[in-house]
Amino acid sequence: MEKGIVIKDDWPGYSLDLFTYPEHYHDDIECVYIPHGVVMNRVERMATYIKDDFGDNNIMVLCVLKGGYKFCSDLVEFIKILGRNSDKYLETRVEFIRLKSYMNDQSTEDLHIIGSRDLSFLRGKCVLIVEAIVDTGKTMKALLKHVETYEPKMVKVAGLLVKRLPNMAEQLTDYVGFEIPNRFVVGYALDYNEYFRDLNHICVISKTGKMKYKV
Amino acid sequence: METSSPCIVISDEEQGYDLDLFCIPKHYADDLERVYIPHGLILDRTERLAREIVKEMVGQQIVAVCVLKGGFKFFADLLDYIKVLNRNSDQSIPMTVDFIRIKSYSNGQSTGEIKVIGGDDFSTLTNKNVLVVEVTSLKCFFSYAVLKDIIETGRSIKTLLQLVKQCNPNMIKVASLLVKRTRSDGYRPDFIGFEIPDKYVVGYALDYNEYFRDLNHICIISETAKEKYKA
Repeated sequence: MEKGIVIKDDWPGYSLDLFTYPEHYHDDIECVYIPHGVVMNRVERMATYIKDDFGDNNIMVLCVLKGGYKFCSDLVEFIKILGRNSDKYLETRVEFIRLKSYMNDQSTEDLHIIGSRDLSFLRGKCVLIVEAIVDTGKTMKALLKHVETYEPKMVKVAGLLVKRLPNMAEQLTDYVGFEIPNRFVVGYALDYNEYFRDLNHICVISKTGKMKYKV
Repeated sequence: METSSPCIVISDEEQGYDLDLFCIPKHYADDLERVYIPHGLILDRTERLAREIVKEMVGQQIVAVCVLKGGFKFFADLLDYIKVLNRNSDQSIPMTVDFIRIKSYSNGQSTGEIKVIGGDDFSTLTNKNVLVVEVTSLKCFFSYAVLKDIIETGRSIKTLLQLVKQCNPNMIKVASLLVKRTRSDGYRPDFIGFEIPDKYVVGYALDYNEYFRDLNHICIISETAKEKYKA
């Protein structure tokens, strides 16, 4: 299992004035951490690993909302493009589960599922859990436990960002986009109290931003 | 000399990425060492350059002049972003395009004299805002002569600009995707995508004897490939 693109602890990111971003976030972000284009190139590569592993099986994607929606949308699109060049029809079906696990910038212990907990559509399927960020791994561990109770045929986890922490988190993720240090990042659907989802690059939030949008 | 706006500076120590981390055409597996600048990063940077350009060149019709051959991909992407800005703002600027090749008089010596091939009559540039778009502003790309015009283009830009100035445009600006840090003649384009160290790079707009046109990332070429695709 690959580590993904490793971003070092001392990576300063890019200065804001080198890229475009919504003007309303001007004071709220420190730097561009991972440009949108690089994210897209990496996601395209992840799609090929996934297609290779799932082979002839239909893929049942379980997208973790809300943060996972952009990653899921782009990943599934790349998987479909690969599928277009195959001689078999392979279905990629997407289902959604909504989790809430952060308060401000701190990860919480429990798994809060919003809406239906019923995942019986996973029974006997080859499941790909698509999550934007795996932090402490507590949420992912709890989710995997919940998913297993529905007896899927196989479960894999794709995480766009995996935090480099001395714990289980890494082993939980089968497909890693980027391994990042322990910084709070926003953008590409990752939010801070619902803000920054409309930012296409992955950025580091500024002190001003943290205070401004605090709950 | 005016200072140009900031650009992405790639340090000498920057190694780039392992080939396996990105999608690469399989037939180039042995021909490349590393992915140096991913295609998506090039596009994101180009999007910002488009904004800088439109901000500075507002007011008159823009004539975007593409310096072939290498410049084409960058030119197309840059102009697409400019067009998006044009159609989403209150102010939009008409833009026309042109394509030129620069050839130096081939007498084996660099006299600085150039021949401009193709392109409309330069008199059409009078009073317009001229944007010259090139890929690399550098002194010498390959240490052995592959195509003379690639090597000469860097030196010739200054001469070209002088020629254009004679037609009294409203302003002339140069946009370059890449600038090599080792360039010593003091010339610096107005808009720069990336400043890079002196490395052998291919992909995106940069071909090597017509190879690598189908590679969308900018990559470092391998020693094997330099031999394999030699002229």
